[in-house]
Amino acid sequence: MPLLTLIIFTPLLGALLLALVPIREVKVLRAIALGFTLVTTLLGFLVWQGFDPGEAALQLTEVHPWFELPGALAANYSLGVDGISILLVALTAFLMPLVLISTTQAITTRVREFLIWMLIMEAGMLGVFLAADLFLFYVFWEVSLVPLYFMLGIWGGQKRLYATLKFFLFTLAGSLVMLIGAIALVYQAGTLDIAALTQWAGAESLSVQGWLFAAFALAFAIKVPLLPFHTWLPDAHTEAPTAGSVILAGVLLKMGTYGLLRFGIAMFPLAALEASTLFMILGAAGIVYGAFLAMAQTDVKRLIACSSVSHLGFVVLGMFALTSAGLRGSVLQMVNHGLSTGLLFLLIGMVYERRHSRELSDYGGIARVMPMFAFFFVFSVLSSVGLPGLNGFVGEWLILLGAFEASPVLTGVGVTGVVFGAVYLLRATRLMLFGEITSDQNRALTDLTGREIGLLTPICLLCLVIGVMPGPFIERTEASLEVIEQRLDAARDQQAARAELERPAVPAEESAR
Amino acid sequence: MNFESLQDLYSGASGALAPLLWLTGGLLAVLICDITPVLIKLRPAVVPAALLGAAWSAAQLIANPSGPVLGGTFIGDSQTGAFTLIFVLATLLAWGQARRYYDQEKSFIGEHDALLITAPIGMILMAGAQDMIVFFIGLELLSIPLYCLAAFRRTRDESVEAGLRYFILGAFGVALFLMGAGLVYTAAGTLNIESLTHARVALGTPLGGMGLALIMGSLLFKAGVVPFHLWVPDVYQGSPTPVTTLMATGTKAAAFAFLLRFAPVLPPEAGYPLGIIAVVTLAMGNLGALVQKDLKRLLAWSGIAHAGLLLLVIAAAVTATGTGEQAQILNAATSALLFYLLAYAFAAGGALGLVAWMEADGEDHTSLSRWQGLGSVRPGIAAGMTLFLLSLGGIPATGGFLGKWLAFSAAVRADMLPLAVLGALTSVVAMGYYLRVVITIWMKPRPEAWATPRIDRPLAAFLAGFCAAMVLALGLLPGFVLGPLF
Repeated sequence: MPLLTLIIFTPLLGALLLALVPIREVKVLRAIALGFTLVTTLLGFLVWQGFDPGEAALQLTEVHPWFELPGALAANYSLGVDGISILLVALTAFLMPLVLISTTQAITTRVREFLIWMLIMEAGMLGVFLAADLFLFYVFWEVSLVPLYFMLGIWGGQKRLYATLKFFLFTLAGSLVMLIGAIALVYQAGTLDIAALTQWAGAESLSVQGWLFAAFALAFAIKVPLLPFHTWLPDAHTEAPTAGSVILAGVLLKMGTYGLLRFGIAMFPLAALEASTLFMILGAAGIVYGAFLAMAQTDVKRLIACSSVSHLGFVVLGMFALTSAGLRGSVLQMVNHGLSTGLLFLLIGMVYERRHSRELSDYGGIARVMPMFAFFFVFSVLSSVGLPGLNGFVGEWLILLGAFEASPVLTGVGVTGVVFGAVYLLRATRLMLFGEITSDQNRALTDLTGREIGLLTPICLLCLVIGVMPGPFIERTEASLEVIEQRLDAARDQQAARAELERPAVPAEESAR
Repeated sequence: MNFESLQDLYSGASGALAPLLWLTGGLLAVLICDITPVLIKLRPAVVPAALLGAAWSAAQLIANPSGPVLGGTFIGDSQTGAFTLIFVLATLLAWGQARRYYDQEKSFIGEHDALLITAPIGMILMAGAQDMIVFFIGLELLSIPLYCLAAFRRTRDESVEAGLRYFILGAFGVALFLMGAGLVYTAAGTLNIESLTHARVALGTPLGGMGLALIMGSLLFKAGVVPFHLWVPDVYQGSPTPVTTLMATGTKAAAFAFLLRFAPVLPPEAGYPLGIIAVVTLAMGNLGALVQKDLKRLLAWSGIAHAGLLLLVIAAAVTATGTGEQAQILNAATSALLFYLLAYAFAAGGALGLVAWMEADGEDHTSLSRWQGLGSVRPGIAAGMTLFLLSLGGIPATGGFLGKWLAFSAAVRADMLPLAVLGALTSVVAMGYYLRVVITIWMKPRPEAWATPRIDRPLAAFLAGFCAAMVLALGLLPGFVLGPLF
């Protein structure tokens, strides 16, 4: 069974069906969309089950010739999943139905369009993680931009048009540099197959790898977003509808870190070694800077958005430590950040629907009237700050362990981020939930409904499972990451050999004396 | 000249000239139908029939290229055939859009059709020209009908102004060409392109160099490239929209078709400067479009930018002249140009078609502000416009993306990496104004007082749907669409 094709095309089929059925009943439309995402989740589960943890190469592969323009380009439709992508595929398939359920109250205008964009979005994101052909990857990469653009622009907040344009143009600028890099890479290597390209690029010299790495890494750094390119993210997050924020934080940003790992580190190990310090510095700076930004926010959604910058700094710090613990931690932390930040955005969305405010000062003491909300909010905050026993702890621990091997100083800087993270998130918790109720409007708030509890619970459970028992998750990434480590080791040897060559030789006469 | 040498001259010419014969036949048929009361009902069928016939014989030409004919002055190879298909497509789109477009000029629709079908004859001669004189005849056959067509809404000042402006500047461009061709002939003693490629020494003299520069000037003028671009926005905006379609898609394709033939004549040192002109054109076009409030003007500036990218491909081909990789790069450039122009014809032709369609409901629909919130009342038209603009912006899953990929590949192959990166970055600016249109259509509320536009135009709807389907097909299944062409 072509499982990977099915998982990409099921949402697309749903989108097509939604566009064509002449039903105007909103409930039916929502049910159709939900049905298709649930089937996708089921397929995602099958992929998870069918995945062989011992195998390092791409699995469940499908290769079909797509088109050929002789002398110019021959692209394949080829898909595959490996240890780098399996967690993200599963995360995407898992989150989407929950996000859809969360929109039943929030999105009431132009529902059909919204559902169509959501489904196209899902297909695009899955395609990015599953593509095994560079051309196909690039197509999915840019196509996944378009749905979020519309979701932000139509259903977003007050300053949505500004935020939308900024988001699109920032990402596009990076993508176009990557496009030229991809063209140069493909032209020199003569293939579009990502595995073959990885083989080819690994054997090239640093000068060749360096430029290509730079072109690819720029695009991914903007998407992550890494420090100097982060300004689009708080705007996009703040203006996006809840569902958009959850997808953005949960999956879309992971396309950046995923790309850094697959195209940055795995494909150009020599260049990655050279750039590792730079990226670790940017990561550590992002941790601290994002935390400071978050501390200064009065808008709780913007606060979470800034905390994303900080958390993704961790992922980059661990990844570019280029050590085995760091790589594992960063892959796991991608999922963790998606879950806990997704939870926080969902909760903020729920309370916003009731109170229509995101200002911290408008709240206070709402734990008394919304005890269930308070429970889930505290749970998510604890997961986000990395309380032992919850998912965030495992990832952060591995990342700091791995980063320490590479650079104790930068790890020290990064650790402060954990402390700051506790500061701003707990401060937000205190201001929102506890103390006296100061506003009459807050007295009248109603607690979470069954639907809301129902959609939050699975995510919380998953947080708990990863926190207590991370084995099955890390195990699946193991084999593929080992291959990357081997490539890095080979590159280190090469680097050492080159350093040996460059060392000034001791003149013969002097040694004779 | 005796009979045998005449026979020699025409041998094999029937295949190469078949598209031209179809169109010329169509032209005569239109004129006859127009003055014969019995046949006048047939008139609407003549143009599409002739165009389809030309397309069919062009396809034959691609399958069985016939090589140089008419004493080596015209070449009927697969390249000519493929470009002919683009010209036919452009004319067909313009013809379809014109059907119910002219209300006050209805009685001259026969003249309109006759002028319209003459233009592709000129374009084909340009694309297949192996001799400067044949090219010149083609250029005039293309330009003169367009001067008339630009001014076809003669009751409107803007249209007449567009026609006059195009005519005066066009005459200037033609003068440049003739002067240049004269100088080249003085220097090299031939006007045959094949012979000129071997006359590098003669063309290296100041006289020859000056001649080449003048010829390039006139070609870049027709293509609408900086610094010869200033006529484009005014003429595109003032002309009737179907004529704008023909200019944007057909004329540009014809100019680049000949530039491709002419590239081997230029010295390789000219490649990099041409590339710089190309990038400047890309930047100027995109920046110019950024501030436009009129859709046709916006598309005109974006057309300048697209011409810049196409010139980058030509520059890549010029750089390769005389090197070992010449054949390969020329091949890459040819397929890039063809694919790009085809995708551009569908996207720009489709977008202008939608503008022409909406103009039926009020001429102020060329203004962007009149499209505000259209997505909520006419989602089909809005979705079509969005798709065409995304293709023009080169977003994947549309034909525009693959065109961009091929164009930049040609530049990268020719070692023009810095120019390619600069060119790619200007596309970000381009996306800025395409998205501004999308924002206006989908994300701004429609004023309540505005009536829903009427859309009772089956032919316009069919053409828009066809263009949209082809834009997607070129993006997703290019092999299926182009398999027979490449």
